[in-house]
Amino acid sequence: MSGKKQGKKELFWGWVFFAPTLAGLLILNIIPIFQTIYKSFFQTGAFGRGDRFVGFANYAKMFSDSQVWQSLLNTFVYAIIEVPISIIISLVLAALLNRKMKGRSVYRTIYFLPMVAAPAAVAMVWRWLYNSEFGLLNHMLKSIGLGSVNWISDPNIALISVAIVGIWSVIGYNMVLFLAGLQEIPGDYYEAADIDGAGPVRQFLSITIPLISPTMFFVTTTRVIAAMQVFDVIYMMIDRSNPAIPRTQSLVYLFYKYSFIESNQGYGSAIVVLLLLIIMVLTVIQNKMQKKWVNYN
Amino acid sequence: MNKWKRVAALALAGVTALGMTACGGNTGGGSDAAADGGAGSSDGTGELTVAIWDTYQEPGLKTIMEGFTEQTGIQVKLQVTPWDQYWTMMEAGATGGTLPDVFWMHSNQVAKYAEYDLLLDLSDKIAASEVTQMDKFPQELVELYQNKDGKQVAIPKDVDTVALWYNKTAFDEASLSYPDETWTWDTFREAAKTLTKEDGSQYGTVLNPKSNQETYYNLIYDWGGTIISDDKKTSGWDDPKTIEAMEYIEDLIADGSMPPYTTIAENEALALFESGKVAMCMFGSWQSDLLSNEYVKENCDVAVLPAKDGNRISIYNGLGWAAAAEGSNTEAAWKLLEYLGSEEAQKQQADLGVTMSAYEGTSGGFVEKSENFNLQAYVDMMEQTVIRPYSTDTVVGENMSQEKLVNAWNGTSSMADVCKEIAAGMNESLQNEQ
Repeated sequence: MSGKKQGKKELFWGWVFFAPTLAGLLILNIIPIFQTIYKSFFQTGAFGRGDRFVGFANYAKMFSDSQVWQSLLNTFVYAIIEVPISIIISLVLAALLNRKMKGRSVYRTIYFLPMVAAPAAVAMVWRWLYNSEFGLLNHMLKSIGLGSVNWISDPNIALISVAIVGIWSVIGYNMVLFLAGLQEIPGDYYEAADIDGAGPVRQFLSITIPLISPTMFFVTTTRVIAAMQVFDVIYMMIDRSNPAIPRTQSLVYLFYKYSFIESNQGYGSAIVVLLLLIIMVLTVIQNKMQKKWVNYN
Repeated sequence: MNKWKRVAALALAGVTALGMTACGGNTGGGSDAAADGGAGSSDGTGELTVAIWDTYQEPGLKTIMEGFTEQTGIQVKLQVTPWDQYWTMMEAGATGGTLPDVFWMHSNQVAKYAEYDLLLDLSDKIAASEVTQMDKFPQELVELYQNKDGKQVAIPKDVDTVALWYNKTAFDEASLSYPDETWTWDTFREAAKTLTKEDGSQYGTVLNPKSNQETYYNLIYDWGGTIISDDKKTSGWDDPKTIEAMEYIEDLIADGSMPPYTTIAENEALALFESGKVAMCMFGSWQSDLLSNEYVKENCDVAVLPAKDGNRISIYNGLGWAAAAEGSNTEAAWKLLEYLGSEEAQKQQADLGVTMSAYEGTSGGFVEKSENFNLQAYVDMMEQTVIRPYSTDTVVGENMSQEKLVNAWNGTSSMADVCKEIAAGMNESLQNEQ
């Protein structure tokens, strides 16, 4: 008798447990996405009042706005620097820290620490390290007889400096993901490789890399999404009057500037919808491509 | 092994969850600004939330608020949010109906807030009050804080002017005489050249395109130029006199009397002056950090600004105390405003060295407060003043001009071209305001 009833009961409790997550997603993510898309068709008044429907005017303005395209380029450049380098470094670190060694958990903790620190605080500390006049980096360069570098005010360098902070902050997080992935790999493979006479490098390339590809896929996808949304480091480190700002501001930075500083939320929304579309396309491409290289045993 | 895995999984779950909310804020296009401001209105306990942006004024204001609590029994909670985030927080609060009960208003923003009726109309309350005397405040400031129908929406808090700070040690080294009321901008330019050392260890002066009120606005009005017309309809940036004044700054840069632009962009003028990197700097009277800095106390002093053809103009401005129209406790909020606008509280503000006060004849204490410096210079600068130029959407025009001026400062465009560009951009956005 209870088959159906049981099923219903399970369904009910299933929903009860699922509801908090669903509510969070709806309220914090899904509803705002549609509100944003809706807003992008309006010329918005201050304080969310007096909105005027303008159709695609915001989009038309955006497509002819060279600042938007430059920031899109900046965002791509940032992602292209940050994602691969941070993945390579964290994979190597994870492989090294996966061995039995003294003080392993201490190292793991140390590498993970930047992830725990508030991004704004991290950016402020780096801003001082980078300072051309009083910064530690230039001080060290000077003491070994080299000239100083304008780390965050030279338009050609600033974005790289920002990306370095991004890489530094995210290595620990990626590393923990890779560590989890590495521990899924059965030890037998390595034993067999040892018997066959493969060295550590060969083992890393032929066993570790293919078998960690599912984790790698996950990390790459989420990192690309996060890198495309870079904002806080740039906002904290590069001032509005910094000559490097046109070459460092990201799409989200522009979105923030229009939406929250100049209270032009319609235009800001249009910019962020563009970003949403780009991220969606990138993620779809990555999902299609995964068949080519991701190895699910 | 297994245990570690479980811990890692937990940590991961936590981090991913955090990551999710972060993403939500960014793509969601909206609501996360409220989270970083978070200044809610009073929660029904009768406590008033008061929002300000200047940490240096916090201790003094706290003392004044304590006096208010003693007199009325109303508790006050002071919240400091840095200038850049303050207006984001306020905008989010205004949109979501959670403005603080009482807060600072600024000439850049008041018109916008008044237009949308977000500020408590004080006119009737002022008329009924025995304490509040609007005629004791500078007329221009009173008008600044009125809406289009002439209703008062804020009580003037303070007045600020600009004066010239100089490094006495640097002047002595170069055997120059200290700046005084005989100085013209030509004297200033020559002195800046003399004070600049070739090895880059010291520069004559610094003007940052970011700080308009403290630097180039004063020069523009000395030269007879304007930023915006009186009817707020056209930009004054292409006025030949405005351009001439800005070209004077271009000359200062060409003389090499200012640090390279990269240094200016990365460091506040205040930091450069307080570290002895620049010898002369224009600062507003609200920069109270100067008064407590040990290096400045030992080496520096302040004088009136130089003049041009008898014009010694200081841009002046004053903050206003305003209350939220839809606050849950507007009666208590008004009581606080009334108290803060009283002669007694305004005098206390100056006596505590917080700022000069807006109320007539109460600023004496501010001058006496610091024995180290000739703060009388700020009071003297009140003789010839122009109120900080504003319109409904002041910020948009100011941000645009600051961004464009970077090109003139680092020499990629001529100052005249940049000024004309700014005028064109500003005229366009002024048209949108109408």
